[in-house]
Amino acid sequence: MAALRTISSLPATASRSLLRSQSTATPLARSAAAACLQVQQRRDDSSLASSKPTTAIPSWGYYKSKKTEGSNKVFGYFMVGSMGALSAAAAKATVQDFLVNMSASADVLAMAKVEVALSSIPEGKNVIIKWRGKPVFIRHRTSDEIDEANNVTISSLRDPQADEDRVKKPEWLVMVGVCTHLGCVPIGEAGDYGGWFCPCHGSHYDISGRIRKGPAPLNLEIPEYDFPTDDTLIIG
Amino acid sequence: MAGWTGSIYNSIIRRNAVFVGVIFGAAFGFEIAFDVYSQRFWDWKNQGRQWKDIRHKYVTDEE
Repeated sequence: MAALRTISSLPATASRSLLRSQSTATPLARSAAAACLQVQQRRDDSSLASSKPTTAIPSWGYYKSKKTEGSNKVFGYFMVGSMGALSAAAAKATVQDFLVNMSASADVLAMAKVEVALSSIPEGKNVIIKWRGKPVFIRHRTSDEIDEANNVTISSLRDPQADEDRVKKPEWLVMVGVCTHLGCVPIGEAGDYGGWFCPCHGSHYDISGRIRKGPAPLNLEIPEYDFPTDDTLIIG
Repeated sequence: MAGWTGSIYNSIIRRNAVFVGVIFGAAFGFEIAFDVYSQRFWDWKNQGRQWKDIRHKYVTDEE
């Protein structure tokens, strides 16, 4: 509606401003304005089907929607919104597919786990298994060893850590068997503290795998592990 | 602009923040619905051919 009004009012404003300027304009300008008005008049006439004299506004009723303005507007915005929603869903799905593609698949995850039957490890024995290319120490600790690990003054340690924070079940100690100094594999049941001893540069670890003496800066690393049943251990 | 179209326009479309929020909410709902129904269509199309359909012939649960 607004556009229609603008179109119809355009010639009127133009001619009015011309008339206003006529009072002060030169005769030449006056005649030019008059000619302009004539042209305007003729164009208006020719654009109408009936040759009524003037000011007849062409009817656009044939082209206008029969529906109300509100329903047309809501329909238009609905289509825009649906397009937006579909694009948002598609964009999200694309990004998600890429991210899922990058994460490890189920067979890789299955290969990255190791299952150990705990009944085969007697008390006071070490077992070394391979997990993701690294050795993992599993020790079935005796109650004396557990007490020994708990009786250490934690503040005196280089890498202070309580024994409870390093084990899920006190009798089972599970650690990655890589020296935190330069990556050698420590030897079990050796060293000054009854735990592990690294032959490369002489780091001594205690029965909880904590560094006590030598160049290593940190305690032996604890991998992710779980006890799904009382008798099995899953590392990874 | 009267009736239900007017109320829709005033409640959802008039404020752009609300409109965009409704669009994202609709995208969320659409995605769930699309996944559920395409999965259902796939299962219907491949009835009796998937592992979950024939599993009971080969695996007996030990319980």
